Amino acid sequence: MELDEFRASLDRWLDEHHEALAPDHPGLGTLDDQMAQLAKVKRLTYDADWMRWGWPECVGGLGGSTLLRAYLGEALTTRDLVEPGIYSMTEVLAPTMIDYAAPELAATMVPRLLRGEETWCQGFSEPGTGSNLASLSCRATRTDEGWSVTGQKVWTSLAQYAQRCVLLTRTGTPESAHRGITALFVDMDTPGITVRPIETMHGAPEFSEVFFDDALVPFDRMLGDQGQGWSVAMDLLPFERSTALWVRAAYLHRRLQQLLDVARPGALDPARVGEVTQIVYAFRARSRATQHRLHAGEQLGPETSIDKVLLATAEQAVFDLVADGLADAVTIGDDPVSQRWRSEFLYSRAATIYGGSAEIQRNIIARRLLDLGSDR
Amino acid sequence: MDGADLELFERSLRHATERHTGAALDAALEELGWREALASDPHAAVSLLFELQGAANVTSSALDHVLLAGIGSVEVAGDNAAIVLPALDPNPVLASTTRAEREFVGEETTPPGSLDGDRLTVRGLGTAALPRCETAVVVAAAAGAIVAVVVPTAALTLRPVGGLDPALGLVEVSWESIAIDTTPQPITTWTPAVAAAQLAVGHELIGASRTMLDQARNHALERIQFGQPIAMFQAIRHRLADTLVAIETADAMLDAAWLDQSTQTAAMAKALAGRGARLAARHCQQVLAGIGFTTEHPLHRSIRRVLVLDELFGSARSLTRTLGDELLTSRQLPAVLPL
Repeated sequence: MELDEFRASLDRWLDEHHEALAPDHPGLGTLDDQMAQLAKVKRLTYDADWMRWGWPECVGGLGGSTLLRAYLGEALTTRDLVEPGIYSMTEVLAPTMIDYAAPELAATMVPRLLRGEETWCQGFSEPGTGSNLASLSCRATRTDEGWSVTGQKVWTSLAQYAQRCVLLTRTGTPESAHRGITALFVDMDTPGITVRPIETMHGAPEFSEVFFDDALVPFDRMLGDQGQGWSVAMDLLPFERSTALWVRAAYLHRRLQQLLDVARPGALDPARVGEVTQIVYAFRARSRATQHRLHAGEQLGPETSIDKVLLATAEQAVFDLVADGLADAVTIGDDPVSQRWRSEFLYSRAATIYGGSAEIQRNIIARRLLDLGSDR
Repeated sequence: MDGADLELFERSLRHATERHTGAALDAALEELGWREALASDPHAAVSLLFELQGAANVTSSALDHVLLAGIGSVEVAGDNAAIVLPALDPNPVLASTTRAEREFVGEETTPPGSLDGDRLTVRGLGTAALPRCETAVVVAAAAGAIVAVVVPTAALTLRPVGGLDPALGLVEVSWESIAIDTTPQPITTWTPAVAAAQLAVGHELIGASRTMLDQARNHALERIQFGQPIAMFQAIRHRLADTLVAIETADAMLDAAWLDQSTQTAAMAKALAGRGARLAARHCQQVLAGIGFTTEHPLHRSIRRVLVLDELFGSARSLTRTLGDELLTSRQLPAVLPL
């Protein structure tokens, strides 16, 4: 299937099935609403095959370019059918399973994620391990029955909804740094796992703390080999900075247009409107080029940190403009539409914090792209 | 062009721009077939040459050729013609002025000439190539139409521009209500011609920005303070990282403009390249510090170059303000380049 054909026929299908796909809830909805909506859209698009294009046949896909996946995410976001952040978890976690899980495990599990039957989460950050991922301490100990996991994760998106978790654990000595990390694919209903959602500023309990207390994980749930967890993480991060960002660019474009639709005359500074538009279009141009490199089979690497810096810049620029143009909605509005603008404005503040902070991205750019040497 | 052809072409251009400037560079470009490439593969010809020209801080008549190619076939006497560039924004946009007061700033860049009957008035600029050419093409606004007029260069009043960047060799061109004896030729592609020139200057800005970044990077690695290269300090690293982000951002937009062929995308790309180059100049000069403030280090040449290039065919500031005004009037974002 070529992209042009995919685009035309998907657009037609989405138009025809608009009623079945549209959310039942007004405005942004609660996180529960959004998760239910996501599951519905994934099931409908999977059953109509759209969600299967761009994924390899070994995990129930129909093959074809990764551009097909990227366009599906763009089309669903542009029509306001899914919230782009929770939609894009698939784009981050499924490629990791395909590359590192045992083939039978990937073949069983990935279709459940694609069809929206399951939610997966990503257990990377810890209370003592934010930017310095290699220092993580959540411990996995070898027992006769499998790995016994004890420790804590934090900022785990959607953990309270998740059936599975891609978890980074310490299997080497505490000093083994990035060499002593092992990735596990964990069932979230395993005895010994406790999830506690975190109240965040933007009002949706998207992140959780996850506690592990002698949670037993079978050996066949290792992703890669023992000690290969760092590679799993490093290969996953460029996915976090490619297709997920393309979908986010589509979302920012849509919200900027909606701001122009509703902002009162005189509420927006033309120079700021011009600059924010340029940034959003440039982010989209950069992300598009990255999508085409992925399509051409290139291995994505540290250059995707530029994409992440641009996302954060564009997202905060758009919502700073929202805060200017819709100041009343953001500050004192209590209707669903105002609540949505406010929640998104507040969430945009996190764009320079999550997924590798603005400082970490610049450190990567300085060390890996500008070759300025190690700063440690 | 692709693969080996493209690589060979780029190598030849690099060789030429690293060794020659001005008339000598024009001769070298003629020999290696740059003008044929401009006709057959404008994307490769323009993006490669202008980035290298900006990187090497050299000049050529390439911008004349880009603009002449953009306005289409104008009959001129001989092959040796330059074109008058639009003047710098005659009335920089002030935040306090209203749209009505600035109507003339619209999407179209004001052409350098205005024709009233057979009397031509010109206010514009010329590249370093203009004084060397026998004839000059002046694009002029004439009773609701845009026309091209061919005039002998010798008849124009030319002021060699010293200014901020004397090495750029610009000339200021003026002509006050003088009768012309050639027939004006109608032009329908002034706006796309300006867009093509914006892309060319955008690439030149990128080239100059990359040179500044290279110089600052080398300095950061060599300069030792407090017992270590200053490249170890995060304040330095992040300035240079931000510079690279700005350069790659503008470069991605220039590529998008070549793909979608939209004049609006070209203007956005030029604005991003200009703003990025100003940021590069600021960060790189700060990293180079004292030595970067002297003429003993070459940095000042690129700083001078980008500050002037940003003003040609619309500065980042005025293009951005114009875009914002258009968007607040139309309330409709530009078309997006599809995946």
